[in-house]
Amino acid sequence: MSTADHHLDGNAFAAVLGEILACEPTTAERICQSCRARHRTGEHLAYGGAGLVLRCPSCGDVAARVVQLPRAQVVEFRGTWVFETATAP
Amino acid sequence: MTPVSRGFHGRRRSDVDAARVPPGQYVVDDFPVLSAGPTPHPELDQWSFTINGAVDEARSWSWAAFLELPSETFTVDIHCVTKWSKLGTIWTGVSVDQLLEDVETSAEFVTAFSDGGYTTNLPLGDVTDGQAWVAYAFDGEPLEPEHGGPARLLVPHLYFWKSAKWVRGLTLTAEDEPGFWESNGYHNRGDPWKEERYWSD
Amino acid sequence: MREVRAETPYAKTLVLDVPGWPGHIAGQHLDVRLTAEDGYQAQRSYSIASAPEAADLELTVVELADGEVSSYLCDELRAGDLLELRGPIGGYFTWRATDDGPLLLLGGGSGLVPLAAMLRHRAAVDAAVDARLLVSAGRIDEVLYRDELDGFARSGVAVQCTLTREQPPGWSGGTRRVDAALLHDLGPEPDRRPRIYVCGPTAFVETVAELLVEAGHEPSLIKTERFGPSGGG
Repeated sequence: MSTADHHLDGNAFAAVLGEILACEPTTAERICQSCRARHRTGEHLAYGGAGLVLRCPSCGDVAARVVQLPRAQVVEFRGTWVFETATAP
Repeated sequence: MTPVSRGFHGRRRSDVDAARVPPGQYVVDDFPVLSAGPTPHPELDQWSFTINGAVDEARSWSWAAFLELPSETFTVDIHCVTKWSKLGTIWTGVSVDQLLEDVETSAEFVTAFSDGGYTTNLPLGDVTDGQAWVAYAFDGEPLEPEHGGPARLLVPHLYFWKSAKWVRGLTLTAEDEPGFWESNGYHNRGDPWKEERYWSD
Repeated sequence: MREVRAETPYAKTLVLDVPGWPGHIAGQHLDVRLTAEDGYQAQRSYSIASAPEAADLELTVVELADGEVSSYLCDELRAGDLLELRGPIGGYFTWRATDDGPLLLLGGGSGLVPLAAMLRHRAAVDAAVDARLLVSAGRIDEVLYRDELDGFARSGVAVQCTLTREQPPGWSGGTRRVDAALLHDLGPEPDRRPRIYVCGPTAFVETVAELLVEAGHEPSLIKTERFGPSGGG
């Protein structure tokens, strides 16, 4: 069939994900899924409930949720994230 | 490999009844404030409490009508998943049994929903038979906003994230629908005596 | 842990030997994790106090009433004990001398710690960057690094200190909470586009950041770091 989708093995994505996770997080920027405002991670508001919640400083919607399990981190990222790949220092 | 920190015991104490403290918990005297978002300050004349979802007919109470409902004052121990427990806390509120009186439903689960968008799910069997309340006073005083006022759910036999602050209603559901924390790593039921903290427990 | 040094009646500086420490940038923090014998753990973040150029890594810890981790670090920890650290963390609230200035630093209470790291870095590389520091505290004995602040002043840093609750006899510094007039006196003018770092309790940071924006400073030049409840006390 000529309409075959050109997907790769998920390991290709995993390599990209690894690169992203190695980026400096505080300077990453996020575009809110809710209000479209663009802010650095460090400008967001962090709340410590049962787990950690990061919220958009403009509209208050959830930007990320993290629960730290004994041997895992359960993470939900929301919105569009921009990571700088030129690493510091 | 995690090294043990010499002389570090955490907030463990010897002056409390160990039988009342679930595994892994320590007892506090203060009332820590943990919150997944900013504290809402709803106008009481705009406030309502709603029972909806898989019910014969949705019910709703205004703040004034809610205060008219038969209330109970009760003393319970509370246990937060972040490991603090507070013993002998005194609350006043309306039992969920009272709120569900006359409600016809075949639902087996409830989702509590709150101002600010927080939700938590529970089996119906965990909020009935005198096990849960919607509380509006703590220690004889109106419940402060930072502790969930004007009203919060109180389900003391489960970890405290199930006791939704700023609760505005219960949605009865046929299927179990994981809430804010239950869908992101925390245990679906959260029994402190079984240390049901995380998905992995 | 190599050595512990009292800074004030309520704060201690921990001098740490960290094999394999990768180096840090002034303003960064790290996480300290404590583990009890039964596996119970508690973790808190602390700003790094020492300059990147310093031989030792230093943290300054203010003891909080009922602070599970801070009271262990201040009262129990002794030279030779092991500490589990994670870091350095943070690339936002950081300053390098090569970033240039002018530099405007505003610290409330223990919010001075990362700012002190920046000024120690400025001194270590002998940078001539225009730098101004405002320290806000309740009482004189809550002000960290008092002798060193005088040293900073001698090396050309404009240092102002305001004590909001109680002032010692003969006090010539500020006596009120940070307000527009205080910020105006400290300078520099917004059109000089200073790089601004505000660190302290949430209420301090929010008030000061708001005043700075009202004074005409560009929000993108104001970097803030808040100390607040971290969950679980």
